[in-house]
Amino acid sequence: MKKKKCIAMLLAGGQGSRLMPLTDKIAKPAVPFGSRYRIIDFPLSNCANSGIDTVGVLTQYQPLELNDYLGNGTPWGMNLTYGGLHILPPYQASEGSDWFKGTANAIYQNIRFIERYNPEYVLILSGDHIYKMDYNAMLEDHIKNDADCTIAVIDVPLEEASRFGIMNTDKKGRITEFEEKPKQPKSTHASMGVYIFSTDKLIKYLIEDEADKSSSNDFGKNIIPKMLADGQRMFAYVFKGYWRDVGTLESYWAANMDAIEMPEDEPEKLVLNDPAWRIYYRHDSARPQYIGENAKLSNSMIGGACNIDGEVDHSIIFNNVVVENGAFIKDSIVMDGAVIKSGARVEYAIIDYDVVIGENASVGGPKEGGAMSVVAKGISLPAGKTVASGEKITKKEAE
Amino acid sequence: MIDALGLIFTDGFDVQLDALTERRTVASIPFAGRYRLIDFPLSNLANSGVRNIGIIVKKNYQSLMDHIRGGAEWDLNLRFTGLTFLPPFSSVTSEEPDVYKNRLDALAANTSFLRYHKEKYVIMMGSDFIWNEDLEDFYEAHIASGAKMTALYTKEAFKKNPETESTFVVTDSTGKITRQIISNQKPDGAFYSMNTYIMERAALLELLESRHKTGIRSLRRDVIAKMIENGEANSYEAKGKVFHIDSLEAYLRSSLDMLSRPNRMSLFGNEDRPILTHIMDSAPTKYGKNAKVTNSIIADGAVIEGEVRNCIIFRNVKVEEGAVVENSVIMNDTLISRGAHINYCVLDKNIIIGDDRWLSGYITHPFYSKRSSVI
Repeated sequence: MKKKKCIAMLLAGGQGSRLMPLTDKIAKPAVPFGSRYRIIDFPLSNCANSGIDTVGVLTQYQPLELNDYLGNGTPWGMNLTYGGLHILPPYQASEGSDWFKGTANAIYQNIRFIERYNPEYVLILSGDHIYKMDYNAMLEDHIKNDADCTIAVIDVPLEEASRFGIMNTDKKGRITEFEEKPKQPKSTHASMGVYIFSTDKLIKYLIEDEADKSSSNDFGKNIIPKMLADGQRMFAYVFKGYWRDVGTLESYWAANMDAIEMPEDEPEKLVLNDPAWRIYYRHDSARPQYIGENAKLSNSMIGGACNIDGEVDHSIIFNNVVVENGAFIKDSIVMDGAVIKSGARVEYAIIDYDVVIGENASVGGPKEGGAMSVVAKGISLPAGKTVASGEKITKKEAE
Repeated sequence: MIDALGLIFTDGFDVQLDALTERRTVASIPFAGRYRLIDFPLSNLANSGVRNIGIIVKKNYQSLMDHIRGGAEWDLNLRFTGLTFLPPFSSVTSEEPDVYKNRLDALAANTSFLRYHKEKYVIMMGSDFIWNEDLEDFYEAHIASGAKMTALYTKEAFKKNPETESTFVVTDSTGKITRQIISNQKPDGAFYSMNTYIMERAALLELLESRHKTGIRSLRRDVIAKMIENGEANSYEAKGKVFHIDSLEAYLRSSLDMLSRPNRMSLFGNEDRPILTHIMDSAPTKYGKNAKVTNSIIADGAVIEGEVRNCIIFRNVKVEEGAVVENSVIMNDTLISRGAHINYCVLDKNIIIGDDRWLSGYITHPFYSKRSSVI
């Protein structure tokens, strides 16, 4: 049988409840990022750039928009006859059917997909992070170490280490201990949620884990500790480069602002226009943006088909956004199709899809000392309306 | 549903663009920040439901093929229909490949394409007109008229390049074409023919196959002229704004015309008929701390840290802090270094303008720099 050396399984079913209301109707991996992208573009582009052309995307929560976005994988060069991108939703079987109970169970339910390509290695990814990573370099390390499992880690500051899953390793990088959110961290190697398994070991442990009724069927909680306890060869792969969790509104906002910076060849910064490592995305037919006579733009990133005639400072503007003359936007994220009318002020806020901010309305306030405001998808804020700093407008009745 | 085959001529048989087309076809001239001229006829056909399109190329068509590839962006990468590139047929023994001299030559070389497909009609067009048209209306008007052929025209008054000839038509009150004039000057009462025609595929084939017997040599001068003489030619006026590129000056003027909202919306404002183009996966446009940008179209991938006024800026252009660019078209990947001042220029792709360089032309005489030059 024809085989693939390595395929990827991308866990994209997460609800992303801490990103509400952005994830009210869409799965977290489909949340827009950086004027044109979605979060899932990053792991998928990393796969494409690492030569991994077969990816199973496991979906569960609000998959409609995510499925539309993924399509047949054309944007990432994964519209293949053999392999390519496959969406793997939960399914019914003759004996019982189930939602994906946990990350390990989601992969367990799709063992047959993995077996179809008979790969030597399986890369497990999630759609929660913004990063650019060469998975192939990690795979080479895995092969060189003759490992059963390799876990990508990134060095975090010691004072923040207790928020992460921490890998303690010996001098050769072999993992000796795994601690989930330790109070007294012994190392700064935080797990990135990126794993490479040798396929036979992965399948063996998934089947054992499924048989264990007390297991919560989770990679971090069950599979990894079990493999460690059994003395399997498990290695940490230290990744150096930009990597951000975008699990909360604040961290999501901060990662977007990182994209505005103009770094010159600094690997620890987020460079989006590196021709050697493109981030691919699904395009709409957006015409170029028009910057009007009264526009004042600084320190910002702006998408296609926008019409900008107001003032935009330190902000991310997505496609098809209208910023009228006299409107003011600072420290904010404005998503597709939003209209910011004349005289409106938006400061330290996230404005979701198709929102209208009426004339002279005001959303949020200065970032310093203030909390972030959010106006959810489709809401029209009437003229003169004020949304206070930290307020989240999610219901139509708010109009 | 439209039952027509599309044929696009990619070379300008009657435009002179010298430097702009030195190494590319007219169809691959970049326009409006992210498009090439072929995007207009191709999107017009695709948006109107034409599913079989032949693209007639003559020479220098590498960049055009890179741009169109399999036609995925126009949803023309289909299993049974889609795009067909029609390059010249050349024999191994002849020193000069058998390259077409005019549209009729090009059509005659591609009768097999016309025979193979079974659509009832053929819509033929060039690549030098820029507009957004619902060709289904054109198609239906043609069928309703009962004419043998219908030609598209516009009343727009172009500044014409006096060194090139254009086709003009005179129509009667019913829309029937009474006269065709090929001239450097626009005659009073005549309209610009857009060299876009619809006729039955079988009728076109018959004309082409009998050309040795009948002695016809030119599409316009023999075929179209004959139909007009016989009272078989109808006319149809293009909707919306039409731009025509026949000189460098016309190129700069038409480009800067995109800064006016009605012009921009006429071409790009129709959600049902978007002008589609090649996808590049460029990063979004970035503006630096001290950027000053007004009245400009800026494409994705551009990084603007200096001053830009009344410009069309293409993908991945970089304008450094302290540089000033006005009234100009700057194509892909060009770098404008700090202290440079650019006015009324058309800078082709991948140019490096060094620190403090001052370059200026005028609207009637744009300064043009060819691709990959270093100034």
